[in-house]
Formats: sequence, structure tokens, C-alpha cells
Amino acid sequence: MIPNPLALIAEITHRCPLHCVYCSNPLEMAAVSSELSTTQWIDVFQQAGKLGVLHAHFTGGEPLARPDLTELIAGARVAGLYTNLITSGIGLTETRLNALVDAGLDHIQLSFQDSREDSANWIAGAKAHAHKIELSRLIRLYKVAFTVNLVIHRQNIDHLDEMISFIEQLAPERMEIAHTQYYGWALKNRAALLPSRVQLDKAVEAVAAADQRLAGRIRVDFVVPDYYARFPKACMGGWGRRLMLVNPAGKVLPCHAAEVIPGLTFENVRDRTLDDIWQHSPSFQRFRGEDWMPEPCRSCDQRAQDFGGCRCQAMLLTGNADATDPACSLAPAHNIVEAALIEANSTATVSQPTAASSFVQLQYRAENLWSYRTNPE
Amino acid sequence: MAPPEDSSQPRLAAGCRWGGTEQDRVILFPEGAIKLQGTGRQVLEHCDGQRSFGQIIAELQAQFADADPTKIRADISQFLEQLRHKRIVDY
Repeated sequence: MIPNPLALIAEITHRCPLHCVYCSNPLEMAAVSSELSTTQWIDVFQQAGKLGVLHAHFTGGEPLARPDLTELIAGARVAGLYTNLITSGIGLTETRLNALVDAGLDHIQLSFQDSREDSANWIAGAKAHAHKIELSRLIRLYKVAFTVNLVIHRQNIDHLDEMISFIEQLAPERMEIAHTQYYGWALKNRAALLPSRVQLDKAVEAVAAADQRLAGRIRVDFVVPDYYARFPKACMGGWGRRLMLVNPAGKVLPCHAAEVIPGLTFENVRDRTLDDIWQHSPSFQRFRGEDWMPEPCRSCDQRAQDFGGCRCQAMLLTGNADATDPACSLAPAHNIVEAALIEANSTATVSQPTAASSFVQLQYRAENLWSYRTNPE
Repeated sequence: MAPPEDSSQPRLAAGCRWGGTEQDRVILFPEGAIKLQGTGRQVLEHCDGQRSFGQIIAELQAQFADADPTKIRADISQFLEQLRHKRIVDY
């Protein structure tokens, strides 16, 4: 018997007003015309609740680009799910916020790109920073929990202290300082985003100091870059173990990057139930458990902690989705990650990343933000 | 950060609420959930924002009369302080 999934990532649209340079979204987007309807989504939430799912994480793209977001949140609450809105805040007015909170929205996670306006707007590819500050003030007037998410990388990591003080003034319950994950646009821009060891060590100190100082007021969560870790991240808490992602078109994936892996086909909620897909989908089975594992994972003591790392990262870096995640120091292909680290540490130059330029606009989603994760060591 | 004072009224922090089933009660928070069993669950069920910390301690000391009351106080105090650090409990 396969344990039930705990979280549903509801990727309700791929539309987004931002074009972040570190966006880890798939480079190929689902078209607006193929998006699931309100009724179809509400049915998905009902099924998820019955399956034992606890959380619905609303993301995209920018979830606010769906005019029916309030109905979707209400539908997820009725189904018994905890509702989390992951947003850039673009498109959120007070009227809409009020309606969302009334509909039962539990939590808002608002992303910031920097504490400095010019830099923030440049990273996001949109003049969004001032609006986000305004919005943070507004959010604090409503009965909803608030997390500020900040993605850090080579371009902004040197003033992390300043960014932490900035977030503190926004008074969230929680701040999440997340290193860029190298998928999608972020992988293309990796040389401009990967910090040096010196930068990373300084950031770790800054976060530890903030955690001490803010204890009891603001919870500080930190996502470290797996490139610098000894062991890989337990991506998605293990393939097909905790999470299901439903994309805008209704396709059900074990993680948002899974489509980079050739040979997998994904079922659609239009044709099959979530329960059926969770139990029987060959794609969910593909890397579930330990049977698929190569050496050194197969005989490694860490395999029940990190599950061999990230399948999509293995695919993107080695061309083989069955390989040990190259972020692992024991991986046969670890030299690929080492080469990137040598480059990142050989020069103090910060080169300019290319903005994610797509007519279907992009928004940040690092796939390991969706709970039940442990940081790599 | 300090442990709760007797007059404080511990409660679940913003964004945290009970969920799950009667057998498997969990506290849901933005990025996950914790499963609570036994005394951990009892302690948090007392943290309703109405009872004071002093009252909660007294009630649980009465309920677990066999256990050392000083130990009960110390354990609950530490438990709540840890949960406050994680922003699951406020007091």
C-alpha cells in the first residue's frame, strides 16, 4: 500500500507578469486555452481531500492571473485543505485580498527579489518592488499568515544583511531565504547566479545571526544551494512519496520539472482520478522506492534520507535521469558540479544574467519550497 | 527569547491550525504539518488562547498526578518555547 500524498501543488496557470532571471519554471508552458476550468479544479481539490492531502499550494505562473482564484481557494478549503498562495502580488488589490481571506485563505507567500528597488525590478523584469511593499502593509491588516520569500544568488547575496533587515520591517511571521535552484532559466543563467564559497559562508552566518535575533518573532528558513552540499537534497521529499503537482492543463506530475525527463508520460485529471494516478501511474512509479537506484545510491546509508537526490537535475546535468544526482559528492558525475564551482570561485566578477524573456511570463518556483523537505548537508 | 510566563495565554500562531483526522491529528502550518500524539497533543489542545500558561500547567499537573510536577512544568515550558521559535505557537 502506497502512503497517501500530503501536498498538492496546484499550478493553476503559467501566466506571470514577472520575468525573473532565476525562474525555475519549465521553459515550455501550458497555453491559456488548455487551462482547467473552475469546476475541474474544485473537483481536483475534493479528490485530494479524500486522498488525505493536507495542503494545497497555489502557484503558477502567477495564480492571481486566474480571475476565479477566490472560488478555487474556497473550493480547496471546503475540501478540507490548508490553502497557501504563492505569489508575486501583481494583481492583488485590497478588494481581492479581502475576498481571498473571506474565502478561507490560510497563508500568503510573497516573493521579493531584493531590498534595493532598482535591483529588485531589474531581477524581476518588472516594476514590482514598490507595489510589493505596499501590499505587505495591506496583508498585515488582514487575518492571514504571511511569509516573505527572498531568492538569493551571486547578484544580491553580498547585501543579505540589508535584505534581512528590509524583510524584518515588513513584519511577516516567517521569512524564507532560498538559494536559487538551477532549473529552467536559472540553469541557463547559472554562471551569473551561483555564489562563491566565500559569499555562501557569509550568507550562512548572516542567516544564523538573524535566526537568533528574530527568534519568537519571525521564523527564518534557509534553503542552501545543493551544489555546495555533501549530499543531494531530498527533492520533493522523494519521487512520488509526498507530493503531486497538477499543471494548468490538468497533467499530474511528481514535480514541476518532471517533463524534462524523456520517456515519461503523464496522466491527466480530465481522464483519471488523482487516486488512480497516485497508485498506478508508471511515471509516479518510475523512481518511487529504491529499485531504480544505481550505485553508489543503492548501497548508500543516505538513500532513505535523500532518495538519490533530484531526478530532473540528474537528467539536466548528465543526460541520464537514472544517474545519482551530480550534486552528491559521491556521484560518478560530481565533476560536472565541481566544474561549475571552480568557475564560480575563480573570479569575483558578477556577470549579467539574461532576463527570462518569454511572452508567457514567468515567475519563480524553486521546486523544493513545497514543504516536507530537509536541507542537504 | 524566553519561556512563557504564567499569565501569558499560549495559542496557535497565525497560519497554524488543527487538521487531519481524529486518530491522526496534525497541526497544519504554511510549509508542512506536525503530527501530535499523546501528551504533546494534550498540551496543545490546552493552548486555546483562553487559558493562561499557569492554568494549563496546573490542569496537566492535576491530570498527571503521578509525574513530578516540576518536570511537567519544565517540559511543557521547553516544548512551547521550541514551537514558538518555529512560529507554531505564540504566547
